Amino acid sequence: MLCGEWFFIMLKIKNIDAFFGKIQVLRHVTLHVEAGEIVSLIGANGSGKTTLLNVISGLHPSRNESRIFFDMETRGMKPEKIVALGILQVPEADKVFTPLTVLENLELGAYLKRQDRVKLAEEMEKVFQLFPILRERKDQPAGTLSGGERQMLALGKALMGQPKLLMLDEPSLGLAPTVVSEIFHIVRSLNDRGITILLVEQNAKEALRISHRTYVLDTGRIVLSGSGQELLNNDEVKRAFLGKDYRGKWER
Amino acid sequence: MPIFNPDIEAMERNELLELQNERLQIVVNQAYSNVDFYRKKFDETGLNPDDIKSLEDLKKIPFTTRKDLMDNYPYGMFAVPLRDVVRLQFPLGIYGNPIVIGYTRQDLKIWRELVARIMAGIGITDHDILQVAFNYGLFLGAVRFNQAAELIGAAVVPTSIASAEVQLRIMQDFRSTVLISTPSFALHIMETMKRKKMDPRSLSLNIGLFGAEPWPEPVRQVIEENFKIKAYDIYGVMELIEPGVAGECSARAGLHIFEDHFFAEVINPHTGQTLSAGQEGELVLTTLTTNAYPLLRYRTSDLTALHYEPCSCGRTMARMDRVLKRADKMISVRGINVFPEKIEEVLAGIDGVGPGYCLEVTEKQGMNDRLKVRVEASPEIFTTGEEREKVLQESVQLALRRAIGLRVEVEIGKIPNTVRRESAKSVEEEC
Repeated sequence: MLCGEWFFIMLKIKNIDAFFGKIQVLRHVTLHVEAGEIVSLIGANGSGKTTLLNVISGLHPSRNESRIFFDMETRGMKPEKIVALGILQVPEADKVFTPLTVLENLELGAYLKRQDRVKLAEEMEKVFQLFPILRERKDQPAGTLSGGERQMLALGKALMGQPKLLMLDEPSLGLAPTVVSEIFHIVRSLNDRGITILLVEQNAKEALRISHRTYVLDTGRIVLSGSGQELLNNDEVKRAFLGKDYRGKWER
Repeated sequence: MPIFNPDIEAMERNELLELQNERLQIVVNQAYSNVDFYRKKFDETGLNPDDIKSLEDLKKIPFTTRKDLMDNYPYGMFAVPLRDVVRLQFPLGIYGNPIVIGYTRQDLKIWRELVARIMAGIGITDHDILQVAFNYGLFLGAVRFNQAAELIGAAVVPTSIASAEVQLRIMQDFRSTVLISTPSFALHIMETMKRKKMDPRSLSLNIGLFGAEPWPEPVRQVIEENFKIKAYDIYGVMELIEPGVAGECSARAGLHIFEDHFFAEVINPHTGQTLSAGQEGELVLTTLTTNAYPLLRYRTSDLTALHYEPCSCGRTMARMDRVLKRADKMISVRGINVFPEKIEEVLAGIDGVGPGYCLEVTEKQGMNDRLKVRVEASPEIFTTGEEREKVLQESVQLALRRAIGLRVEVEIGKIPNTVRRESAKSVEEEC
């Protein structure tokens, strides 16, 4: 259907205003994520994508009129409370603890769950099935992993927290092209397993390809939205990401 | 009756409002950053797109009028460069002061779906054969029926402006089940059918979809009884999309406005005050998804009232009363919109014609059938013989036909105390 099916809305954010000092970086951003969706947020450097994820995670403050709903109003909650509700963010950098082993990293991912050993082992087994390479490397310090492996470890660590909504910040950044497509493939398969995903990407083309819906952020404002396919064909998006600007409306 | 897009058309109203809010931020941001007219207007009034945080704040934005569209011809209202546009339309023709509206591929895709929603809502299915008897040349939205029918899987017989007799023959040949036309043309076909003593049961028609001109309930009754069909109303706005802004459903309790794409308000046409649900006033629309030609608070000049209670058909989209009156002087003649301003513009460009004129409309079954313009001529015309008068009459007729696309009767005369008349109706009484 044209606008995506209107299912259960998992995350709803309204009129988010956020600042760095006096500089406003988000301007009443309103968007929603439905359960089971991959929603991507694309935009140039400095458009406010990461800040938006940080606001949702409770890491960055937002103005009083802003509203965030995830089952309940979560604005103003402590980050750990928000994680406990099931919103997990995989940050762009420093996503793993480099001196700790792969195993220890994964265990830390389940820290808030406070579950027994058996359950922990079960979850870990799921992660190892998804990323066999992590099983091979489980006793190595995370610092010895390659870029792609670290990204997988970061994803695995997040999965240990059994997220309802997984927020990925630039998972393809700094990775070799073949690894990039593997990561996107994994993101897709996580979604197939029922995890809702909010994805921030500069690699607009790939993001649009795997997303159900996409919002385009430009200097803190949402300027476009639509299905991935719609936006792939949208000239406005092509202009924004290929730098093809125009001087006059008549220009061909 | 089935609902074409139930996730949207029957969604919870509070969710619909959230969706409208989300889309409003985008259309306001787009309008401000990409439309010269809106940027200027916002800056002049000291308004910032950041001030529009909700549908409630929309009231801060000044109205957009048809004059704005004319003044900003050709590109001043566009949000995208022409290379993104795949269709241009001149709803008032290209003579004089035209307006031009553009559509991107995405805009057309949405438009097509909206017409399909209306078709599905009145029971049109892939088994139907649609006879579209709209003037494909003058009514720019006619082709949208073809595309919407393709989406549903129904077949279209585009008979366009073929004569009533040919229409009836085609109806029999193809067993058309749906007639789509102006109500006045439907009446014309109906009269021909009666004159030829044809039995409506020899036709397969069971649904009529009519629009592009006001048609009161008695007309609906006459059409339904004589054709043995159910007749439904479809509504559009030529500056946005026509048809497809709203349409009746099987419950016929008003026309459902597609609020996922248009935000509707009703205002007092004199004061600009927003009116509450159920009160009659001028319909004002804001596009929520339009790419090429976004309009904020566009005054449609159509008089109606809005109703928000859920409809028995299951749709939650607001309903508007059928439009039978206008807030401006536009008159509709056989489905073609005629603006007195346009006539003035044409007359002003012709030598020997005075400033005064008078419109006379012949009605048939409560709908406008023919238009006659009585023009005041300068006194010399009458002193220099009949020949010149005839030449003048013909040139006025030709100019009007070119400008409005309609055959108009023209009478040259001395009109005492000529003034612009208030409306076609009052003209009839006075002339």
